[in-house]
Amino acid sequence: MAIVKDSGFEALEKLKSTEPPVFLAPSSKSEEARAASQHLFEKLKPYNPKSPFDELLVDGFDAEQIWQQIDMQSQPLLSSLRQEVNRFAKNPEEIRKLGNLTLKVSQKDDVDEMDMDGSESGDDELEANESEGEEEEDEEDEDEDGDEDEEEKNGDNEGIEDEFFKIKELEEFLEDGEAEEYGIDYKNKKGVAKKKKQNLRDDDDEEDDEEDEDDEFGAFAGGDDEEADKLGKAKYTDFFGGKKKETKVKWKDLSEDEAEFENDQGDVKLSTHEKERVKLQSKIEQMEKANLDPKHWTMQGEITAAKRPKNSALEVDLDFEHNARPAPVITEEVTASLEDLIKSRIIEARFDDVQRAPSMPTKAKREAKEMDESKSKKGLAEVYEDEYVRTANPAFAPTTFSDELKKEASMLFKNLCLKLDALSHFHFTPKPVIEEMSIQTNVPAIAMEEVAPVAVSDATMLAPEEIFSGKGDIKDESELTQEERKRRRAKKKRKFKAESAKEPVKKARDATTGSEGL
Amino acid sequence: MLRRNVRLRKEYLYRKNLEGDERQLYEKKRKIREALQEGKPIPTELRNEEAKLRQEIDLEDQNTAVPRSHIDDEYANATENDPKILLTTSRNPSAPLIRFTKELKFVFPNSQRINRGGQVISEIIETARSHDFTDVILVHEHRGVPDGLIISHLPFGPTAYFGLLNVVTRHDIQDKKAIGHMPEQYPHLIFNNFTTQMGKRVGNILKHIFPAPKPDARRIVTFANQSDYISFRNHVYDKGEGGPKSIELKEIGPRFELRLYQVKLGTVEQNEAEIEWVIRPYMNTAKKRQFIGE
Repeated sequence: MAIVKDSGFEALEKLKSTEPPVFLAPSSKSEEARAASQHLFEKLKPYNPKSPFDELLVDGFDAEQIWQQIDMQSQPLLSSLRQEVNRFAKNPEEIRKLGNLTLKVSQKDDVDEMDMDGSESGDDELEANESEGEEEEDEEDEDEDGDEDEEEKNGDNEGIEDEFFKIKELEEFLEDGEAEEYGIDYKNKKGVAKKKKQNLRDDDDEEDDEEDEDDEFGAFAGGDDEEADKLGKAKYTDFFGGKKKETKVKWKDLSEDEAEFENDQGDVKLSTHEKERVKLQSKIEQMEKANLDPKHWTMQGEITAAKRPKNSALEVDLDFEHNARPAPVITEEVTASLEDLIKSRIIEARFDDVQRAPSMPTKAKREAKEMDESKSKKGLAEVYEDEYVRTANPAFAPTTFSDELKKEASMLFKNLCLKLDALSHFHFTPKPVIEEMSIQTNVPAIAMEEVAPVAVSDATMLAPEEIFSGKGDIKDESELTQEERKRRRAKKKRKFKAESAKEPVKKARDATTGSEGL
Repeated sequence: MLRRNVRLRKEYLYRKNLEGDERQLYEKKRKIREALQEGKPIPTELRNEEAKLRQEIDLEDQNTAVPRSHIDDEYANATENDPKILLTTSRNPSAPLIRFTKELKFVFPNSQRINRGGQVISEIIETARSHDFTDVILVHEHRGVPDGLIISHLPFGPTAYFGLLNVVTRHDIQDKKAIGHMPEQYPHLIFNNFTTQMGKRVGNILKHIFPAPKPDARRIVTFANQSDYISFRNHVYDKGEGGPKSIELKEIGPRFELRLYQVKLGTVEQNEAEIEWVIRPYMNTAKKRQFIGE
């Protein structure tokens, strides 16, 4: 056993000295690792009463199986540890006893204890990183105890303290002052002050904690005995220190419960600040990891269908603005409104038809002369005769159609000019007299509807001269003398004779012409 | 014929170019006229040309007072003669599209439908011009549903490109007896809510496809604009029993929504013709702007 022990120890030492990267790949170190692990197992065995194995079976087993064996060890350990912790929680004095225990054991046992502590936190460190684990565990243990002390003193004061201001120093100063004032025993003060100083140093240097711890625990142990004597000269720290121990325990409680599953280097007691920092750290790690990973396709800018998973666009709620107005849906209301519009337009008869523009005539219509197609009534000889007469003797020529038209036209124009002159000229120009011949009958000018008989009316169209134009004295028959009557009768006879003399001459002439024609 | 066409086109373009100057002149004259009417002093920028312009204003008559634009030129002869329309489709039309085109033939009076076959667009336009057609209408489709309408006015007139939506054809309505025959009267037209400049232009283009109707026509064709979507409806009306105020409307013919997306100042075959207006759907303010009405 001893030989094995030694070889195991040697193996451990060898592993300690190898470079860490060597552990990453399978190498010749496996034999040494197995020996080392067996050695450690045996060391741990006394502390593990409920373990199912007597020794670690290494030969012919692969890493997984060895690991499982070690794992199985830890299961019963956990429950016993919990019990221990609860016990400590209830009885804080027992911790001091434990502390005393640690004082007595040798370096090796310290290592064992540290290993045990390491196994508390989990079995991650045992197999591959034993050397590192040892070192880590040393530090962790120191940390732990250091933290204990810190929490002991600093539980309530984390926010205020920094490297320049320590509450402990303040208290120390105050007590110095009081001691001077009231003349308390310097020795006790010293002891207390020393203790305090040591505590203060703990805050800064965690490496030197081991000795300080020991001293502290010794001082505590010593202090307990002397307390009873010093009741009258009790110090603030005695009371408040105790209080702080209680709080320390409380802290320990909390941290124990919370820190059970924490990965942080086996450290179970964490202040809130530390916990928050741990959380932040994990968050930061997560975010960094996310940043390094390739982005989700929706965040990659322009994506074609080939670059994203199939049908993934259906799952994402795509949101973009449609700028075009959508087509109108033709509902019944729309149709009804249209029809109303049409009906109103029909009733008003207000249509937007194409208007035919009236076309302006480009030229005046050529006058179509109608040719009279009937045979000319005049013979050609007569036509020539008329032409000759016109040229030779214009006065005798009968007027042609165009001449008559011309006359008519000129008459119309004269009328027009007359009217225009009358309108435009200042001097009066009377109407020209146009002599016309017409037959005037002796009809009464006035035809009135009158009660009086028509015969009474005297008005005639003709002037008196036209009715009777006579010269000299006009005598009625009753007024005539005999000679006058005779004269009239003779005149009458002569006239009658003259007329009757003409007629037969005329008749004779006619007869002669007729006979001459033969 | 070719040279004549080229010459006419050049004239048209030249007059279109001059339009800008003419419009400026018209504006100046208008300002002077207003100033004279209201008794206000003439604006200072017109001081130099004022005397000459005043002379011109005095000598103006009805025709010269209004500035003529190329738009007037395009439709100058439209009012004198009835429009003559050529209807055709895109290549390889499906049966529903042919049916729709046949329906459109009855909607537009004085129109003719021809098969597209393998003709090139420029050929179609050439033949139409030589046969004195005034308009060519092309109908496009998507898997049997008509989705495009191109109206091109022929003697180098404007071309309007529409998209068709919500098309309901007469064939879709199974009940033939309810629909009855389609009367081929020249219809009355109703244009509603075509208020902007562009709206009036589109209204003009659509108006001149139809001839001048008789006052007692019973057929009504409606183009109603609502937020840039033009609804086309075809009705026949009768005076109802309830007196002169009641009208019975019966809807005949296809109905669809038109959405204008381009107006070009040339015929369909002229690819390099100037674009008068084109839709801009991806502009940020596209939702707020309305180009045809309101």
